[in-house]
Amino acid sequence: MTPSDEPLLTIEGLTVSYGPVEAVDGIDLTVKRGEIVTLLGANGAGKSSTLNALVGLAPRKANRLVFAGIDLLGLPPETIVRRGMTLVPEGRRVFASLTVEENLILGGAKHAKRGNPAAVKADMLARFPILAERLHQKAGLLSGGEQQMLAIGRALMSSPDLLLLDEPSLGLAPQVVDAIFDLIRDLRDQGLTILLVEQNVAQSLEIADRGYVLANGRIELQGSAAELRASPEIQNAYLGA
Amino acid sequence: MEIFLQQLLNALSLGGTYALLALGLAVVFSIIGLINFAHGELMTVTGYAVCFALIWGMPFPLAVIAGLGVAMTAALLMERVAFRPVRGASGTTLLLTSFAVSAILRVLFQNLISARPIPVSIPASLSGVVTIGPLHLGMIQLISIIVTLAMLLGLNLFLHRTIAGRAMRAAAEDFAVLRLMGLRANSVVATAFAISGLLAGVAGILWVAQRGSVDPLMGALPVLKAFIAAIIGGLGSLSGAVAGGFLLGFIEVILQAYLPESLLPYRDAFAILLVISVLLFRPQGLLARKTLVKL
Amino acid sequence: MKKNKLLLLSAAISALSTVPAMADDLVIGFATAQTGYLAPYDQPNLAGLQLKIDEINAAGGIAGKFPIKTIIKDTRTDSAQTALVAQELVDEGAQLIITPCDADPSIAAGMITQDAGIPAISFCATTPTLPLAVGDHMFSNYPADNVQATMLANHAIEQGYKTAYILTSPDTAYTLKLPQYFGQVFEAKGGTLLGEGTFTMGQQDFSAEVTKIAAMNPQPDVIMTAAYEPDFPAFIRQLRGAGVTAPIIGADAIDSPTTFSLGELAEGVVFSTAGHATEGSALEAFNAKWQEKTGNAPDTIYIANGYDLGNIIEAAVTAADSVEPAAIRDGIANLENLAGVTGPITFKGTNGMPLRSVALVRVKGGDRELVAQGLPEAADIPAP
Repeated sequence: MTPSDEPLLTIEGLTVSYGPVEAVDGIDLTVKRGEIVTLLGANGAGKSSTLNALVGLAPRKANRLVFAGIDLLGLPPETIVRRGMTLVPEGRRVFASLTVEENLILGGAKHAKRGNPAAVKADMLARFPILAERLHQKAGLLSGGEQQMLAIGRALMSSPDLLLLDEPSLGLAPQVVDAIFDLIRDLRDQGLTILLVEQNVAQSLEIADRGYVLANGRIELQGSAAELRASPEIQNAYLGA
Repeated sequence: MEIFLQQLLNALSLGGTYALLALGLAVVFSIIGLINFAHGELMTVTGYAVCFALIWGMPFPLAVIAGLGVAMTAALLMERVAFRPVRGASGTTLLLTSFAVSAILRVLFQNLISARPIPVSIPASLSGVVTIGPLHLGMIQLISIIVTLAMLLGLNLFLHRTIAGRAMRAAAEDFAVLRLMGLRANSVVATAFAISGLLAGVAGILWVAQRGSVDPLMGALPVLKAFIAAIIGGLGSLSGAVAGGFLLGFIEVILQAYLPESLLPYRDAFAILLVISVLLFRPQGLLARKTLVKL
Repeated sequence: MKKNKLLLLSAAISALSTVPAMADDLVIGFATAQTGYLAPYDQPNLAGLQLKIDEINAAGGIAGKFPIKTIIKDTRTDSAQTALVAQELVDEGAQLIITPCDADPSIAAGMITQDAGIPAISFCATTPTLPLAVGDHMFSNYPADNVQATMLANHAIEQGYKTAYILTSPDTAYTLKLPQYFGQVFEAKGGTLLGEGTFTMGQQDFSAEVTKIAAMNPQPDVIMTAAYEPDFPAFIRQLRGAGVTAPIIGADAIDSPTTFSLGELAEGVVFSTAGHATEGSALEAFNAKWQEKTGNAPDTIYIANGYDLGNIIEAAVTAADSVEPAAIRDGIANLENLAGVTGPITFKGTNGMPLRSVALVRVKGGDRELVAQGLPEAADIPAP
């Protein structure tokens, strides 16, 4: 196996249960370095629970949960994030009463080892000129699209190896959605590995390398983006062919 | 007019102490949803620390520093021993835990130290008077106004200029996401308790300086006032706690000053009535914030 | 060590509650506060009484034949709990019950003991209406508020004070009525009351009240209050801070180490108390004995006061020559000029509040100076 073939993230038998309710029921999934992998599925299929479980925010059990050679089981979110895997949560969840700059500062606060925070911040502001303009505004005053940029920018401040994105296009205007998908592709092209949860199946499969379809907490389909786009199930259920 | 100005100064001094106390409650509540009724016992611990430091011959300024150190340590211990195991539990569980901590500490003070008040020799220089034109201000009143303003300023700088301070503000909004920044939940909560301990310590020293003694139950009334002030201000809002503290102090002093003598025994009833009417118009308090308390 | 003592104590208590007392034992039940805000008053009284009980038992009991057994229960400074504890003590066969240093819980307990026909004595409640509220089986062990107030008012008149201001708190009978009794006597003897301020106990903020006093023109010759810790030190600090120099008269609850640690602030304050250890007095001898037994000088008169309660019990049982509750009650009610360590004590002819001498003490150089000692004229004492 060449190093690039070795998965960056390996999930075997991941189960997430909230009391008696099983949101995720024993899934296997891998993400290789440099890939965009998309996790698709209807509302309540267990997509967000999977991401939350990966970073330790949801109660989880698994046979194997290995990221970059580190066993994630038992690690709290803050440690996992410090090891280079971070999550942009659903609904953006920027710190509304803090300024844009403060949001970014907190994003990079504990990651000096992984990259020079000042350089990372300069890079970030060059990437998101709108954030540079609004640096001293309260994050709560930004538009939805700007908040999503901030949420992604904040996550990038930790110079992650693997970025988990939970519904980044949710509730945004079509032009903004396009911009977000362009951004995701750019990030991958610059070497970041991405696990993307989306309801926008068509656009996700356009930029993704591979994908998984989740239903009732189990993997129903998997394959390359092209295979999935061609599959009748996807065609019928999501692409409205 | 002079008397009115004098009463305003009085209100400022009393309100400042209430503000410090309410802020101590709010700092912790905003982050973990706990109303720490053992906050008053942190004041008591501070009082005993200053008292014993003086008995052991420390000069007063050193004793004050020792008292503040003990207050912060006690707050951290409280968090580690009593509140961390129940973190994330329901509000009722947290509240009952804090009542238990408070009750246990009081009984320990009564049995291990003394049920009787222990005198604290406050330096005579703190009993002086400062005269500003026609206005008289007791040294301790003056110090409490200055210290309150300094603490509020310092806390404001801390919250807006340091990583730990920004993390605390962020934690009050969305603790889970803060952890996604790689900031440890335990250290943020510990910082909140340390600050709350420091605020309790400062308020405790001001309180003891007025009364000249420490007794096991001395924290009971201040924490009640702090609770009322925090509620008026909007629970969990830091600026609300400060506003609530000053408003409560203002209400109490003005009523005491201007109620007719025959109604004076009912002053506290009037004060609470005013507080209730504030809440009737603003049920969430003066400066409510959206509460999002989860781990 | 502490633990061992606790174990012994609880073993002793459980032994007492299971083994029936001998026919000639006097069983004293304590419904008093070991915790809560009355503990600082009840505990030193209990300690003083315990010393007397130990002495009595070492000598084979009262009059050599009535050993004393004690059942001690904590009331947590809660009136309902005090009533509950009093009922338990009655059920466990107490022949005499001691109640806390305050009228309210004492009344709560007294309702039970009165019905059971068992005498009850409060450690140091001073409200003169206490026995009236309960009945003929209720006593107290301290100079009543109206007696203290009369002594204080006499002192004020003797000092030549013409006008007075009183500061009261409606929160307790003591803080409300004692200054009002003072005002009554002061006016009856030709003084003028300029006003009455109020405060809420425990708040420690007197700034508004003090500003009003400072604005009074003319200033009162004297200010009288029954405020005590933590209110009294806070009050005097803020009063002097506002530039008011009028002398201050206080009552017995400020007979506390804190008052003497206030330095310049408390200098010249005059207050009433249950006794003063003049040279060669019984109180001085008692203090010496206490120091010898415990290694510490007594820091409050309540210890001697508790010891005197032991003297009262000893004298009453000796006179009754019986441990029957009814006989003990009569014994107490007929005591006359009993030589206590704090001074002579008389119950005969009273409603249950003793006639005991009151000492007036002035704070001087961080120590106490005797101003007067004795009992006021009966005619001068205001009716409760």
